[in-house]
Order: sequence, then C-alpha cells, then structure tokens
Amino acid sequence: MNVLIIEDDKALARELGLYLHNERFHCDFARTGREASEKLFVNEYDFVLLDLGLPDQDGLQLLAEARQERNQQASIIILSARGTVDDRIKGLDLGADDYLAKPYSLLELVSRMQAIVRRKHGVTQDTLSFGPFVLNVSDRTLRHGEQEVPLTKKEFDLLHYLLLHRHKVLTRLQLSEHIWGSLISDSDDRDSNFIDVHVKNIRKKLTPYDPGDWIETVRGVGYRIKTTADA
Amino acid sequence: MRLRQKLVLLTTLSKGLMAGVLLLALPWAIEVFALRHTEARLRSELVKVRRRIERVGVTSFLRGQENDQRLHYDLLEDEFIELRRGRPGHRQPDTIATLPRRQQGALVDFRVLRASFEHDGRPYTLEIGKSMESVEDVYGLLRSFAAYALVFAVLSTLLIELGVITYLLRPVDQIVQRLRAVQGPTPPPLPPLQTSTWDFRYLDDTIQQMLQKIRRVFEQEREFIANASHELLTPISILQNRFENMLQAENLPEEAETQLVTSQKTLQRLTATLRTLLLISRIENAQFARPDRVDLRALLGEVVEELDYRLLDQHIRLHQQLEGAPTLAPANRTLLFTLFYNLLSNAIKYNRPADGRISLTGAPQPDGTYVLVIHNTAVRPIPAAQLPQLFERFRRFDDGRVEGFGLGLAVVRSVAQFHLIGIAAASDEHGTAFTLRLPPARPDAAE
Repeated sequence: MNVLIIEDDKALARELGLYLHNERFHCDFARTGREASEKLFVNEYDFVLLDLGLPDQDGLQLLAEARQERNQQASIIILSARGTVDDRIKGLDLGADDYLAKPYSLLELVSRMQAIVRRKHGVTQDTLSFGPFVLNVSDRTLRHGEQEVPLTKKEFDLLHYLLLHRHKVLTRLQLSEHIWGSLISDSDDRDSNFIDVHVKNIRKKLTPYDPGDWIETVRGVGYRIKTTADA
Repeated sequence: MRLRQKLVLLTTLSKGLMAGVLLLALPWAIEVFALRHTEARLRSELVKVRRRIERVGVTSFLRGQENDQRLHYDLLEDEFIELRRGRPGHRQPDTIATLPRRQQGALVDFRVLRASFEHDGRPYTLEIGKSMESVEDVYGLLRSFAAYALVFAVLSTLLIELGVITYLLRPVDQIVQRLRAVQGPTPPPLPPLQTSTWDFRYLDDTIQQMLQKIRRVFEQEREFIANASHELLTPISILQNRFENMLQAENLPEEAETQLVTSQKTLQRLTATLRTLLLISRIENAQFARPDRVDLRALLGEVVEELDYRLLDQHIRLHQQLEGAPTLAPANRTLLFTLFYNLLSNAIKYNRPADGRISLTGAPQPDGTYVLVIHNTAVRPIPAAQLPQLFERFRRFDDGRVEGFGLGLAVVRSVAQFHLIGIAAASDEHGTAFTLRLPPARPDAAE
C-alpha cells in the first residue's frame, strides 16, 4: 500500500516512515504543501497522512486538493499538533477519514489505517478467536461455546485491540490511548495503571469458563494475548 | 444615586433656593418699587399744579379761604393737595415723607411731597399727599402676582430641565446596553452611537478602542496557544514515536525494554500535563463554543458509568439523589463531562481504602439556581488553609498516597467559570465536599 506522508518535521516523518515500512507500507514523503500537491498530482496513494501545520500552506486547503480526481479513493488521516478545537470538525467535514492529535502512538495510527482498509474492502473479519473464546465484532459479544461472557464496553474494546495485534506485546500506554483516546480529562486518569484494573476484571470473567490465563503479562512492558501455540 | 437623579436634585435645590430668596426679598423690593412709583406720581402732579399756578395765579386757588390756606381732597379722600402761604425768606428744598394726617377724626398715614416756591415775590408751600393705604393696595397686588409668576417659572423650567436631562443622558443607557451585549472576547462590531454630545462620543470611542485591544490580545493569545502546541507537541511526538520504533526491534534486551517503557511513561506524563495546560488556556481563551443543552442527570449517569469499574474495584458505594430536572444551557457537553469526571475521579482517588462512600445530592433553589454537592469520605480532611488553593494549577492536597500533577481541579475551575458555575470546597472529619451552584438554564439556548 502506498502512503504519502505530508509532514514538515524531518525527524517525525522519519520515525513514521520507519514504523510504516515495518508494517509493509510503502512510504513517500512531502515536506511542503507544494511538494505534496505535485506528488498528489502525479501518483496514486492509498493513504495520505496529513500534518495540518505546513510551512507554506494551510493543511486544510491541501485536504480539499487531495480529494481531487487522481486521489479520490485515497484515505486521508489528519495528524495535527495544532489542536485547535474546530480543526478536527473542519478536517472531518472536508472529507478526512480520521483525525489523530499529536502525539499519538504509531500502533494506534496503524490500527486505524487497518480499520479503514477493512471497511473499504469489505474484508471485515467478523469474529476473532482465542482458545475456546470467540469475539464477535459486529454484535460486540464474547462467547465461550454457546455461553455469552458479559463484558463492559471498555473491556470489550481492550480485548478486541489485544486480539487485533495478537502477536505483539501492547504497552499500557498503547492500550490506554486506544481505550480513552484523546478524551479530555484529568491527566492522572490517563495514567495507564487503570489498564491493569480492566485486565484484572477481564481475567476474572474468563477464569470460570477456562482456567488458562489468556492475557499474558509481560513484566515491565504490558500485555499480550497468548496464541494457541503458547497455551 | 443615579446621575439623572443627582442633576434633577441639584436644579431643584438651586431653583428652590432662588425662589426662597426672591420670596423673602419680594415684600421689601415691591415696597421700594411701589413707593418710588408713588413718589414719581407725586412729583409729576406737583409739576402740573405748579404749571397751573403759573398760568392762572395763586389767588384763584386761595380766594375765599381763611388764613390763606387751601386744602383739597379728592372724592375718595386718598389724595390731597394743600397750598398755603409760607414764611418769607424761609425757602426749603422739596421733601418727601410719610406723615400722619387727621382725617374725619382719625389719623391716616400719607406719603407727602412738600415743596416751597415763590409766586409774585411771595413764598408758598405746596403739599401733595397720597394715602399709604392706596399704595399698599398696589403692592399687595404686585406681590401676589410676582409670587404666582415665580412659582410658575420655577415649575416650568424644572419640567423642561427634567426633559432635557433625560434626553441628554440617554446615551449612557445606550452605552451600558451595548456593553452588556458584549459576551465574548470577539463581539460583533457595534454600530456608532447616536449622540451629538462630545463627551459620550469620546466615551464610546474609548470603549470601542478598548474592545479592539481586548480582541487583539485574545487573538494573539490564541495564536500563541496554537504555536506553543505545535512547537511543544512535535518534539514529544518524535520522542514517543522513536521509543515505539525502538520497542519494535527484535532481540531487544529485557532491561532496555523496561527502560524504554519507563521513559515512554514519563513522556506520557509530560504530554498529559501539557495537554491539560493547553486545555485550560483554550477554555480561558474562549475557544470553545457552548452549543449544547445538557441534562445533568444523564451526564452524571455517563460519568458514573465511565468510572464504574474503579468504584467497584475500590468497593466504594455511590449514593445519588438529585431533585428536579437540573439542566445547563448554554453549555459545552464535552467540557462538562470533563468537569464531573475530574470531580468524581478525585472523590474516588482520595476516598477511604475501606468502606468508602460518595454521595451526589442536588436540589433546585428558590432563586432559580441548582445546588449540587459531591461528597466523599476521606482518609483525612483537607486542612482549611489549603482549601482556597485547591483549584490552583499544580496544587494538590497530599494525603500521602496519591501521586499526580494537580491539574484536575484547575480544569474543573476553568470549566466551571466558563459555564458561570460557582464552585466551593469544604472538608471536615466526615469527608470532603465540592458544592456547585449552577445558574438557571436559559430557555432560548438551543439543544
């Protein structure tokens, strides 16, 4: 998949490119609005990652431009540090597919990109399973055989996120960013320690059905879903 | 006291004073005036009599009179003319005096002009008199006329002045109304004030300039916040992404991994602090709209649901009793969510480790406001001295257990101020209570 990263900060663009490259994306870079216009005119992209604070042009203007013919089908994600209140609304109104406020976790960005891909190509995987459990994404339930395991909204989201990245260890920060997003709230509550409470509760709910500890604690780092091979 | 009332009072007092002085001086002035008038008449009559004597001689006046004296009264006996022979060589200047005269057995005061003259070489004395009674009649009339005229003049000028003062001071109300209409830092431009008074135009111009200045300051602040966000959050972004990339590396030693995660956590703390500070600045810079009509009961329900897992985890019992249908309008739902989230989160955080309780009680007040109290049991009360600083940035009550940045209540305060919600904290051995006084919902505020 081709990605155009429009970002004026070199170092940031480099980190972004590195992570996306590891995730098998092909990256192209533009540092100014003009450069971006040229590339959008010539090439076809699946994703355009747009920083709103460009030195020569307002990012929102570029967004409208990016929506033109050649790149109509491209998915646009706004990455902004400007954080003006109505930036997000304006961006989404102008046809951006998603919006992430800097700083964001790269895992979250890739997750959103993958979600867009699944949505666009209709390859939504309806169920995700681990061990004897089946997570149904469309009706948001977790089942053990015929029995439903009741989960709260946050617990479901957490489990879903762990399953989507089942081969990775997810840090508490990555998990909390996904669960709470950029919820404006008391800063302490973004403290990732509350992830532990959720994980504890999920484990408590799973144990009566299956004694295997399916959410593995990786000491000092975070959590990972055990693959069936591990179990 | 209002300026209009003061001005009216001032003119009333000065007019009253003037009228008083005039009324006091009037009898004297009119007496003087009436006497002068009488004397002038007496003199003119004297001139007429003298002219007549020159023409016809004295004898025709004195003929048939004993001891050469002639006294003549007019029909009503309030005027007389007396001519008599004077002593030779005894010429006196004309005199005027009030003298009593016997008239039908009674003494009556007359204003008398006495003049000496010579005719055909012989001296004569001529007296012309006018009774004081008739003079006083005239000035009684004059006095009452003058008094009526004075009262009429005072009242009519007072009414005119009242009207003029009200008209002149109208721009004051207009200016105040226009100022009241200014709600945010960027009000729509005001139409020019309709007045010909230089002072009011000067005042209005000054106010307009002041509003302009405030607007500029707010815009500068807005730009500063946007730039600061960009300049501070971009490097943080770089670091966070770099840590994430480093964690991706295969065969990373466990120790390095742990250190990276710890660094990430520190960075996250910095991010959170920065975001919260920027949030407070944006609220204070009025960058948020208040488009919502918020049902407080529903909102509190959402907040409680969001924090439910922590209540359960710490075995805290929540008691909720809200009377009436508390509503906030106009309001910003997201910000209000944050306000109650932070307050409730604090109530959980600083609660007792065992048998903790939180109560949410609210009741509408007779004055239209709604009072909501969030009370929680606590390990120990917040010292009274620390209560006033509770809402300051980076201040936090240290109960020995909880670590953090102390910005949650600063956000609470700025959101509360943004919504004109009064907020106060109190603490004793039973626990800590935050009391919020919500203003009455404006019915015109949209959903």
